[in-house]
Amino acid sequence: MEHAPLLLVVEDDSAILSFLTAVLGANGYEVRVAASGQEALSLSSSYVPDAILLDLGLPDIDGLHVLRQIRIWSDIPVLVVSARGHEREKVEALDAGADDYITKPFGTGELLARIRAALRRHASKVGDSSAKTSIRVGDLFIDYEKRAVSLSGKEVHLTPIEYKIIVLLSENIGKVITHDTIVKHLWGPYAKDLPALRVNMANIRRKIEENPAEPRYIRTEVGVGYKMAEEADR
Amino acid sequence: MIDEQAPRPDPDLLLAAVREEGNDKRNRGKLKVFFGYAAGVGKTYAMLDEAQELLASGIDVVVGYIEPHTRPETTELLKGLPALPPKQIVYRNIQLLEFDLDAALARRPALILVDELAHTNARGVRNRKRYQDIEELLNAGIDVFTTVNVQHLESLNDVVQNITHIQVRETIPDRIFENADKVRLIDIEPVELLERIREGRIYKSERTTAALDHFFTPENLRLLREIALRKTASRVSHNNLSESKTLEKHASSKLLCCVGSSPASAKCIRWTARAAEAFQAPWGVIYVEDLENSLLSEEEKSFVQHNLDLARTLGAEVVTLHGDNVAETVAEYARLSGITNIVIGKSGRKSGVRRLFEKDLEDQLLLLLPNIEIHIIPGNVADNTRWITRQISYVRQTFSLSFFDFIKMIITLFLGTLLSELLYHYQFGDQNIVMVYILAVLIVSRITQGYLYGILASVLSVLTFNFFFTEPFLTFSVIDPGYMVTFLVLLVAALITSALTVRIKTQARYAAAREKKTEVLYEINKKLLITRGLDNIVRLTNEYLIRIFSRSVVFYTKDPDLGEQASTLNCETEKDAHLFLTDSEKGVVHWVYLNKKSAGSGTDTLRGALAYYTPVISQGRVLGVVGISCASGKFDQTNRSFLKRILSQVAMALERQYLSDEQKQILIDSEKEKMRSNLLRAISHDLRTPLTGILGASSVLIENASSVDAKTRTQLLSGIRDDSQWLIRMVENLLSVTRINERTMKVAKESEAAEEIVASAVSRIRNRYPQASVRVTVPEELLLVPMDGTLIEQVLINLLENAVKYSSDKPKIDVNVASDGTDAVFSVTDHGKGIPDADLPLLFDDSAGAPASDADSARGMGIGLSICQSIIRAHGGTIDAYNHSDGGAVFRFTLPL
Repeated sequence: MEHAPLLLVVEDDSAILSFLTAVLGANGYEVRVAASGQEALSLSSSYVPDAILLDLGLPDIDGLHVLRQIRIWSDIPVLVVSARGHEREKVEALDAGADDYITKPFGTGELLARIRAALRRHASKVGDSSAKTSIRVGDLFIDYEKRAVSLSGKEVHLTPIEYKIIVLLSENIGKVITHDTIVKHLWGPYAKDLPALRVNMANIRRKIEENPAEPRYIRTEVGVGYKMAEEADR
Repeated sequence: MIDEQAPRPDPDLLLAAVREEGNDKRNRGKLKVFFGYAAGVGKTYAMLDEAQELLASGIDVVVGYIEPHTRPETTELLKGLPALPPKQIVYRNIQLLEFDLDAALARRPALILVDELAHTNARGVRNRKRYQDIEELLNAGIDVFTTVNVQHLESLNDVVQNITHIQVRETIPDRIFENADKVRLIDIEPVELLERIREGRIYKSERTTAALDHFFTPENLRLLREIALRKTASRVSHNNLSESKTLEKHASSKLLCCVGSSPASAKCIRWTARAAEAFQAPWGVIYVEDLENSLLSEEEKSFVQHNLDLARTLGAEVVTLHGDNVAETVAEYARLSGITNIVIGKSGRKSGVRRLFEKDLEDQLLLLLPNIEIHIIPGNVADNTRWITRQISYVRQTFSLSFFDFIKMIITLFLGTLLSELLYHYQFGDQNIVMVYILAVLIVSRITQGYLYGILASVLSVLTFNFFFTEPFLTFSVIDPGYMVTFLVLLVAALITSALTVRIKTQARYAAAREKKTEVLYEINKKLLITRGLDNIVRLTNEYLIRIFSRSVVFYTKDPDLGEQASTLNCETEKDAHLFLTDSEKGVVHWVYLNKKSAGSGTDTLRGALAYYTPVISQGRVLGVVGISCASGKFDQTNRSFLKRILSQVAMALERQYLSDEQKQILIDSEKEKMRSNLLRAISHDLRTPLTGILGASSVLIENASSVDAKTRTQLLSGIRDDSQWLIRMVENLLSVTRINERTMKVAKESEAAEEIVASAVSRIRNRYPQASVRVTVPEELLLVPMDGTLIEQVLINLLENAVKYSSDKPKIDVNVASDGTDAVFSVTDHGKGIPDADLPLLFDDSAGAPASDADSARGMGIGLSICQSIIRAHGGTIDAYNHSDGGAVFRFTLPL
C-alpha cells in the first residue's frame, strides 16, 4: 500500500474539525491539525504535507497571510475554506496562490473531490517535469507544439487571443483562473478590459461548445473567473 | 426668508411664521437692551446689578465686554462676575481691546454681558459692528444683555444730530432694538445727570468741561430724554399691537422714498423709516438711474451706494430702476406697487433760468399722481456747484472728438454742397439750397456722437452757403441779413437733432443692458428648469456666474464644517479658484451658513476674505453658498442685486432638486422597509421550521439511540441532512440581499454575459437535482447585460428550484434568454401543474407566502420569490409569472440593457 497522503487541516472550530478529521481519516488520509495561523505555519514547514486545508477566519493572523507565507517557499496545494462567500475574497485567495476555494457550508462529497483533484493536479505537475506537448479533455484536443485545437478531430480556428486563453486555462486544468489573471496574461499588467475578455470567451464557447449556455469545457465561476473542466461530463 | 411684503397674508404662511417664531424662540438667545438717553445715566450699572442677581440665583453669567472707562461704583459691581479676557488687536501700532466673540461662542454661557451695542469693531475683527457679534451670540442660543443710547439708533440719528449738533457715527439698525426681547429704560433726571458729570463721575475731569459745553447742556439732555422715552413708549404700544401686526401692515399705507446721489437723501430715508414705523406701514426706497447716471462722479456714486445701504439697514425694500424721466418712472412704479405716500427731498438747487424750463420733481409727480400724498423734506445743502460740475462733465462727454465723425461730417457736407451746386446750376432757387443744407445738418447730427459735429456742421453749412451761393461768390461777406436767419435755423436744427440722437442712443444702451440682464435671467431659468441633479445645477450656475461676472466662482452645497461639498470653477482671466478652498475661507462659508447672511470681501463681516459669499436661501433654509472672487476688485451693489436675482432662481431649482431627492428617498425607504420585513418573516417562520426538524430528529437519535431501528435512524438522519441543505440555501438567499446597497437600494452592476450566468445557475441545479432535465436557449449573439452576476444567478437558482419543486418526478424545465432591444428577458418555464389563478397576483407578495393551500411543500418559496423580486427591482427590472397554455408556470424577469 502506498503511503497515505498527509493533509494539514487549519481550522479553529472544534465541531468542524472533528467532522473533518473523521471524514478525511475514513477516506484514507493522514491528518494533522492546526488551530491557529502560527501553528499552521510551523506545522506546514515541519511536516511538508501533501495538501493544506486552510480556513481563512483564524484567531491570530489572517488566513490570506498564512497562504502568502506558505507560497514563499512551497507550491503545496492549498484549499482555502471560508464562511465568507463574497467573490472578492475568492479572487483574493486565488490570486494569492490558493489552488481552490470552498465556501462553508460544503458537503463531504464535494470536499473530497476537490482534495483529490488538487492532489492529482499537483502530482501531474510535479510528475512530468518536461512541458506537456498536448492535452485532451473529452472531445477537445489541444496540441501545444502545433498550436492547434481540434474538436472530435475537426480543427477549430481560434484567433491568437482565443488560443492564448484556452492554453492558459488548459495548463491550469480544473483550477479557477481569475478574470484579472487572464486579462493581465493577455494584455499586460495594466489592462483592465473585462468586457473584452467576456467577448473573447463567448467566441471561444461558440467554437468549441455545442450549446454556449451549457458549456462542457470552460466553466464560469460567476464574479470570479473561468476554469477548464477536468472531465467533460454532461 | 419669508417675504414680509406679501400682498395678503396666507393663513398657512402665518401659521408657518408662528411656528418658525416658536422654533426661533426656542433656539435663539434672548436679547435684553438697557436703554438710556445719554452716557452716565447708569445703564452699565443697572446691567451689572441685574447680572449679579442672576448669578446669585445660579445662572451661568459671563461678562463678555465692559468698556474700561467705567466708573468706580460700576467696577465694584464687576467683582464676582466671571469675565472673558478681551481680545487684543494691534492696529497701527495701537493696542486695542475688543470683545472676543469666538471665546464667547466657545464658552457658551447661558447669559453674556456685552456693553455698548453700537460700538464699531477694530479692523481685523470678524464683524464690523458689535451688534453683528451680538446677533451671532443670539443665533448660537446665548442670551445677551447689552447697553445702548438713544442717539445710536439709526432712524433717530439725524434728529439727534439736529438737536445736539454732534454727529454720531456709530449707529445700529433699528431692527436690533425693535426685535429685542426686553428693553429696560434707564432714566434719571437731567439735572441729576449734570450733577454727576460735574462731580467728575462720568468723564475724567479734563474732558468734563468739553462734554458739558457741547453735549451735556440741560436743553440737549431734556430733548434726548424725551426722544428716548417716546421711543420706549412706541415700542410698548407696538408690542401691544403686534398680534394684528401682519394684517395691519398690509391694510394701511405704503411709503416710498425717492433718493438721489445727494448725501441729504439720507435724511429723507430716516424720515421715511420713522414715519413707516409710526404708521406701521411697509416702505420702500427707489433710486432711478437716469441718463445723467453715467456722469456721476465716483464720490456721488458712493453716496448713492451709501444711501441704498442705509435704506436696507433700516429695513426698506430697495428698488433701482432705469428711466430717462425720473418723475415718470417713479410714478409708474408707485402706481404699480400701490404706494400711498411718496417722500422726496428738496434742496432748492434749481435756480434762475433752469427753473423756467424744468418743472420740479414734486410738481411733475403731483401732476402724474394726483391721488398720492407727497412729502417734501428740505435738504440742508443747496448744491448748485454740483449741478454745474455735472453739466461740465456732461458737455465734455457729449462734445467728444472723433476722427470718424469728423470725416462723416465732411463727406456729408461735401455731398450737400455738390447737390446744391447742381440745384444752383439748374436755377432751383436759394430756398431749396438752404433746404439741402438743413438736410445735411440733420444727417450729420443723426449719424455722429454728441452735439459737436451737428453744431460744427451748421456753422460750416452757413459758411459754405455764404461762400459758394451768395453774391459776391467765393467770399464770406454777407449781403443779405436774412442769411443770419438761415444760420439760426440750421443751428437749432442741429441742436435738436443731436439732443434727440444722444437721448435715443443712451436709452438704447440702457435698454440693451436691461434686455441682456433679463435675457440672461430667462435663459438661466429655462436651463435650470430642465436641469436635474445637484451637480448639474451647480455646474450650470457656476458657468453662468462666470460668464456674467467674469470672476471665479465657488459653490458650496453643504456647510464645509459638515463635509466637503464645494464645486469651484475658474474664470479664465483669474487665478486659481482653489485658492478659495482654504480653511479661513471655509470659515466664512460656515458663518454664512449659520447666519444666513452675505459675508466676506466688501461686506461688514469677515472683510478679509478673498471672495464675497452669499447664501442661496429658500424657505428660510440655506441651500448653498456661492462665493464670488473679489481678486479683481469689489463686487459692487449692482452686481450683488443681479446675483441675488440669479440666486433666487437657483434656490428654486435647488429646492426642487431636494424635494425630488426626498421623494426618492421616501420610495427607497418604503422599499427597504418592505425588504426588511420580508427578511424578518423569513427568519421567524421559514428558518424555524427546519431547525425544529433538525433539533427533533437529533434529540431522538441521541436519547433513544438503542431503541431506534436502522431504518428509522436513516430516515431521521436524511431528514436532518435535507433540512440542513434547505437552511444553507435559505441563508444564501438571505445573504444575497445584503449585497443590495442599504442606502440606495441599488446594486453594483457590471457587464456580464447572460449565457455565463445562466450556465452557472443551471449547472448548480443539475448537481442538486440530477433527475431534472433543463433545456437552455440563449441568443446566438453574445448578450452582455449590466447586472450583479451573483444575485442574478441566485434569482435563476431560486426560480429553477421552484420549477423543480412544482414539477413531476422527472422535471422538464426550459430556460430562455432573449433581448427585446431595451431589456434582456429571462424566463424559466416548467411543465408542472401551473399556479392556481387565485394565487397569481399574490405570488410575489411575501405576506401571502406560497400558495397557502399546501404551505409545507412550498416551504420558503414565498421568501425566495420575494427576494427575487427585491433583487430584480434593485436592478431596475421587472418580474412576473403566468401559466402557459399547455400547463405549467412561466416566471419571467427583465433586466434593462
